[in-house]
Amino acid sequence: MAKRLTIALAGNANVGKSAIFNQLTGLNQTVGNWPGKTVERAEGTLHFKGYTIRVIDLPGIYSLSTFSLEEIVSRDYIATENPDIIVNVVDASALERNLYFTLQLLELEAPVILDLNQVDFAAKKGIQINTEKLSETLGVPVAQTVATSGIGINELVSTVVAAVSGERKPKSAKLVYGEEIERRVQAIEKLVGTELPQLCSVYPARWIAIKLLERDVDVVGKLKNYESGKEILDYAESLGAELEKIHGEPPSIVLASERYSLASKIAKDATIIVTPPKISLEQKLDAITTHRILGYPILIGVVASIFALIFVGGSFLSSGLDSVFINLSTYIRGALSSLLPSAAVDLVNNGILSGIFAGITVALPYIVPFYIILALLEDSGYLPRAAFLMDNIMHKIGLHGKAFIPIMLGYGCSVPACIGCRIMETQRERFLTAFVVVLIPCAARTVVILGLVGRFIGLYAALALYAFNLVLVFALGRIAFKVLPGEPVGLIMEMPSYKMPSARNVILKTWSRTRDFIYVAFPIIIAGSVVIAALVSFGLLDAIVQAANPLMNGWLGLPAVTAIPLIFGVLRKELALVLLGDVLLSQGMVLRDLTNIQMIVFSLVIMIYIPCIATIAACKREFGWKKAIAITLIDVALALLIGGLAYRILSAF
Amino acid sequence: MQFRNRGNHNRLRHRHSVHAPKGTISLTTLHEGDKGVVACFSGGFGLIRRLVEMGLTPGIEVKILRKCPFRGPVELEVRGVALALGYGVASKVFVKQPKAEANG
Repeated sequence: MAKRLTIALAGNANVGKSAIFNQLTGLNQTVGNWPGKTVERAEGTLHFKGYTIRVIDLPGIYSLSTFSLEEIVSRDYIATENPDIIVNVVDASALERNLYFTLQLLELEAPVILDLNQVDFAAKKGIQINTEKLSETLGVPVAQTVATSGIGINELVSTVVAAVSGERKPKSAKLVYGEEIERRVQAIEKLVGTELPQLCSVYPARWIAIKLLERDVDVVGKLKNYESGKEILDYAESLGAELEKIHGEPPSIVLASERYSLASKIAKDATIIVTPPKISLEQKLDAITTHRILGYPILIGVVASIFALIFVGGSFLSSGLDSVFINLSTYIRGALSSLLPSAAVDLVNNGILSGIFAGITVALPYIVPFYIILALLEDSGYLPRAAFLMDNIMHKIGLHGKAFIPIMLGYGCSVPACIGCRIMETQRERFLTAFVVVLIPCAARTVVILGLVGRFIGLYAALALYAFNLVLVFALGRIAFKVLPGEPVGLIMEMPSYKMPSARNVILKTWSRTRDFIYVAFPIIIAGSVVIAALVSFGLLDAIVQAANPLMNGWLGLPAVTAIPLIFGVLRKELALVLLGDVLLSQGMVLRDLTNIQMIVFSLVIMIYIPCIATIAACKREFGWKKAIAITLIDVALALLIGGLAYRILSAF
Repeated sequence: MQFRNRGNHNRLRHRHSVHAPKGTISLTTLHEGDKGVVACFSGGFGLIRRLVEMGLTPGIEVKILRKCPFRGPVELEVRGVALALGYGVASKVFVKQPKAEANG
């Protein structure tokens, strides 16, 4: 029988943790959320020498305090779920900074294995690490890997298995802090150990003592449930106040500095600087792409070429798929009509099938290439540079540079863009970014804008719409920033070095994200299609068109039937253009018969009116129903307002 | 002490900086390539804690790698890692500068 093990990967962001995860688990992985939290949880399995190993990828964090959801999730997992081993992935080229996190894992007395990743890159920078020395100082096994090319992965798993099977038991060497801190920690530890045996069975007494000294909100809260808690808290507080008096800084800052000075010492002792680093290609690339002037045209070029590529390639693939599906659908209709009554055939064909087809014709041609390019940008390290360059501009709408990343994603598809808002630090920032992101014209909206305004009026008019959209996004972003309570957060971001992305990692990332997209978007696209097919077959659509007439014709100046493409556009916005042609044809008109003003108004409404149903689903997942509905209603109201105003203003000329 | 170089050039440099404690200057007043030793911070506890956890502990030497124009972000090197700070954040970090370089 296979022996079962659970290991968790923990470490800073940008250390190649997900690359290690992908190397370990390959396609045997699932990505979801931690229960009740919008923090990504990746899990996979691996079989190795008779062991079935469950691998959990913890979020990339810099500390185990409780300032972000990611930190809380990681800390709770490590302390309470007791994984057999925690593989602490560290960047070998930035040992000192990474050891800060390692020291906190060791404070939790977790069974740690240190994995020095990117040793090839460190070597290039002239850094070599004496692993034996490091292992001895920290008291944990140390492995070395190059995750992107899979070097050392087998040895890493062997080290894990050896540690668990007792061949080499990880035993933490006692890491001692400076005299004045150490004395106080030990005093509290002693008191906690005797007074709170219950809590000490879950958390190490020394860790509780350190956290009490740091005034950690979470741990202080835990102590309040105990009878003797008050006394201990007072004692810890008095010792903390002493430390604060000596150093002139709060104890948590003193302890963080202390950890860093220990990390610095350990790193220096274990590091051998081989050759003085010479300027590498990566550094030259870095200098050019973040140049104060040159950086911007490069950024614009990169973004523009990405979208040109996705758009041209996507529309080509999409139209090919469409014709395949039309044939398929006719065939299925024929096959079904001998079995089912015609109403049921319509429901299956126009509802379920066209829902599935709609999903595929969006996902395959647009989403997959988009995810591939996104993974390339992420793994190469360009995204943080783009965020750096855009920080200034993003501040104008109360956000910071990182918000540029979901906004850029928004030009591809709103669904990943909404999920991408997670890179923002606070819930407020995330919601603000999402509010802005859904207004960005995605690839599907671009199809309508270019296919209608671009084709019949001219490219300049289409570009003017985009420019207007940017102005609108900035204006609304600014208003939302003023209206939503809370303080803006500034940019604090690590700038990773440029790296060559690995094909395996890019493919696996694309696959897991595409699958995620399918889970979020497909059920709701299909359900929506069924509802609309039912409306059509019960003849309710005409009633809706009649009811919408005053709004469509009176307020927006559009033919009443254009309500139909707008309704269907909720499912899939690029479909609106095809449908617009169809419904106009039923009135004996063609697209060209629309006036320029009507085309512009229609495009404006499509651009703003509602995030498509898949986006609403993504918003709901990230922010809950209330906020998802709020975003939807605001956008509908806004679209009608702007559409009506545009009609009146443009007609005046 | 922060006014010791009260030239026209320097007044411009100091225009946007938060009032710096005696003997220190804000990170944003440093130039590309300049070095400084972190002295203290202004701002909320949460912000300070995040900065310290990213390695900006009092007493550590930092080097400005890059500054974006128009009150843009600052990229600096600390503990062998490149860190980007928004202008607002950087203006709340105060450093001491070795004298020879400060006058240069």
